[in-house]
Amino acid sequence: MQKMDLADKNPLRIFARDSEGKPVDKRMGLLMSRPGLGKTAILVQIALDNILRGNKVLHVSIGQSLDKTRAWYDDIIKDIFAGVKLDDSKELRDEVLRNRLIMTFKEADFTRPKLEERVNDLVVQDVFMPGIIIIDGYDFENSAAPEIADLKDMADVLGLQIWFSALRHRDDDRISDEGVPAPCHDVGRFFDTVVMIQPEKDQPDLSLVVVKDTIGSVKPGKVLDLDPSTYLAKEA
Amino acid sequence: MSRDLSKVRNIGISAHIDSGKTTLTERILFYTDRIHAIHEVRGKDGVGAKMDSMELEKERGITIASAATNCTWKDLDINIIDTPGHVDFTIEVERALRVLDGAVLILCSVGGVQSQSITVNRQMTRYKVPRIAFINKCDRTGANPARVTQQLREKLDLNALPMQLPIGLEGDMKGVIDIVTMKAVYYEGEFGEKIREDEIPAELRDEAEELYEQLLDAASMFSEELMEAILEGTPTPEMIIEAVRLGTLELGITPVFVGSAYKNKGVQSLLDAVMYYLPCPTDIENIALDLDHDEVEVKVTNNPNDPMVALAFKLEEGRYGQLTYLRTYQGTIKKGDSIINTRTGKKVKVGRLVRMHSDEMEEIQESGAGDIVALFGIDCASGDTFCDDSVNYSMSSMYIPEPVISLAIKPVDNKAQGNMSKALNRFTKEDPTFKTFVDDESNETIISGMGELHLEVYIERMKREYNAEVQVGAPQVSYRETISQRADFDYTHKKQTGGSGQFGRVAGYLEPLEEGDYEFVDNIVGGSIPREFISACDKGFQKSLKKGALAEAPVTGVRVVINDGNSHSVDSSDVAFQLAAVGAFKQGYMKAKPILMEPIMKVSVEGPTEFQGSVMGSLNQRRGMVLGTSEEGNYTVIDAEVPLSEMFGYSTILRSLTQGKAEFTMEFSTFRQVPKNVAEEIVKERLKEKK
Repeated sequence: MQKMDLADKNPLRIFARDSEGKPVDKRMGLLMSRPGLGKTAILVQIALDNILRGNKVLHVSIGQSLDKTRAWYDDIIKDIFAGVKLDDSKELRDEVLRNRLIMTFKEADFTRPKLEERVNDLVVQDVFMPGIIIIDGYDFENSAAPEIADLKDMADVLGLQIWFSALRHRDDDRISDEGVPAPCHDVGRFFDTVVMIQPEKDQPDLSLVVVKDTIGSVKPGKVLDLDPSTYLAKEA
Repeated sequence: MSRDLSKVRNIGISAHIDSGKTTLTERILFYTDRIHAIHEVRGKDGVGAKMDSMELEKERGITIASAATNCTWKDLDINIIDTPGHVDFTIEVERALRVLDGAVLILCSVGGVQSQSITVNRQMTRYKVPRIAFINKCDRTGANPARVTQQLREKLDLNALPMQLPIGLEGDMKGVIDIVTMKAVYYEGEFGEKIREDEIPAELRDEAEELYEQLLDAASMFSEELMEAILEGTPTPEMIIEAVRLGTLELGITPVFVGSAYKNKGVQSLLDAVMYYLPCPTDIENIALDLDHDEVEVKVTNNPNDPMVALAFKLEEGRYGQLTYLRTYQGTIKKGDSIINTRTGKKVKVGRLVRMHSDEMEEIQESGAGDIVALFGIDCASGDTFCDDSVNYSMSSMYIPEPVISLAIKPVDNKAQGNMSKALNRFTKEDPTFKTFVDDESNETIISGMGELHLEVYIERMKREYNAEVQVGAPQVSYRETISQRADFDYTHKKQTGGSGQFGRVAGYLEPLEEGDYEFVDNIVGGSIPREFISACDKGFQKSLKKGALAEAPVTGVRVVINDGNSHSVDSSDVAFQLAAVGAFKQGYMKAKPILMEPIMKVSVEGPTEFQGSVMGSLNQRRGMVLGTSEEGNYTVIDAEVPLSEMFGYSTILRSLTQGKAEFTMEFSTFRQVPKNVAEEIVKERLKEKK
């Protein structure tokens, strides 16, 4: 199997193209879930999908160590490779290494100016030109709308995609008109795509539900199943 | 005489350069009453601390070799194995880790967990060494032990458990609160030798109680007795100590202590902690390989009455001749015994047996299981196992990485020539990652090792200890060649020059080997190559691997399969088939699309965040691949993979780039294909040199 086949098989390819079928280059994406349902795994899959399509991924991990974040990638790559026969998995692994850069920050240290400064450093020094930034572990609970607007502005200026993850709390049932739940109910309007990981009632199964998608042509509602043991997305 | 092994501790002290390891060791030796004056590492009196016995170390203020020092604390017998702190010397660190049972990880309260601590911690985890942490230098400006404890959890993934709370920090550090007994401990007197216990200062009461709860929570996971006692409200300090000990042995807990060795605070409590929490020899399972029975794994017994098994882990050329440091795993070594080196099969007689206190020594008559001693005048290499004549064990061989860098050296005169070979002979015995050979073509002496600094230190030692002045060539990276695809060969070697000729035909194919350097597969059926010549073929192929046709670098990662051939009843011989194999390899090799591989180093640069951009740029310029960055406050660690050939002189570049505020470590990671354009240059260079 070739690398493009692998990209074409990735269930998360549904987010790769806009409603006219062109590759998405700018977007604010948001992935929400309760704790422990595999947010990071889905973000890593989105990252891998982008790498296979030739994008460079900057993975910003807030509050997690470099080694742990790297381990996420290693595990998921292993799971994906276990399922398919690849012509040269070593080469592909090297390709992931070349096209991914992980940055870790402490919770208190992460701000938009800082991120922008880092990204500029990367670009100016010709180290790395990200096409997509993954921000895992952003604290939505303690951040106000202007900060998100600021980050959206940055995505616009730099012309790239940013995917966030957000933690939902069981006992907070506030929700926006568009259906974006707390703690992001106030900032939902800044996002083009909002997706949730949802457990099935009384079952161990998980599924991916689209709340809104104004870029692509994905209709709201359940779109994909998640494998509860590997957290990998699969066709519903 | 059988010793109570529960009263023995073989420990290592491991740390980042400048975390105060030598000072701490010095203080330990002081409190254990073996030496009476305290010298600083870079002491003004020029005497220098005890553990750094090599001249060079004194000058650089770092500890290079591991010496074993014995001391007594209360009724405990402690052997301290000093471990070097630079990554280039990891084979020494790893060998030291092999013989110790537990370790103290020293951290600087300001610098915290630095890259070297990460490397050493990884090695300790690999060898399953239980450890306790000591946060040193709490007297320094900016000391923050709580942050360091947090780093132990986050960066080293240890379940760090504070056992003490400092009373005051920086200039105000007065003592510590012992969380187990919930008492304040003060170190008074000129050298902090008088210990006074008191009530906890009121302002620290709440914080101490919080830590006590945390301690009970964590410790009770490892002891049901403690768990029950907590439920009944009657946990005793003894129960807590026992539970923490169990957790530490299982590598489930890393107890954390604080202090300042320089200011004589907390050292005695650390020694108590060594007694309470670190394992004795019988707590640890050590495995030997039985060479008489297919290298079956055997657990060593620690019983002094069983057959003797000991590992030589360190050689040292001292003032009094060659010293061999031994760790005994079972049985007893006595003066006058004959013991056998299981690697060479040679019998040697135990002459003088001594216990070392760095430069001073104490003559002893015998040494029992679990002990560490030194022998005089025994010829062996470090890593050798000694047994008595009833068993033939080898303490499992350690993984030894191949050298990645080499350079040519030339003695300046005749006298230096003799001294140089003496020195090289010694170094290769001491350090298996240090190799030397004479290049057939250039007649130059080549030394190779694990990094620039590694070789530099040996060149310095040659000059100082052996009076051998040498000229040094430019460092060369050790390249490798490998093949990228399968290719067939079918080669006939025929020579007819009157008398008996030479004839051999070898056919088969070469293919890339994922793991390992070389594999020979004999798929000959029907005797087209007679049995007796198969090993000659193997030999011929192995010969071909020494110099690849691409850049004359060693070839690795090749599987050779032979499946056909021909022989001649008169003209075939070992030599004929060896030459046929050489020809066959040559024929197949270029068709198998050989590629050039270079050593890639894992490089970790740490320093102030403001330099992040320029440091990344500098790594990028060196064909480096930045893997990630971790930012914490104003401090950033950058992880990258960079070809070794691009790292020469990087320390100077980094220093000027960051005003000397950043530092880096590097460690061999893997071999990777050299990009085409670079490879062409290298091939051209190498071929030009040969002309």
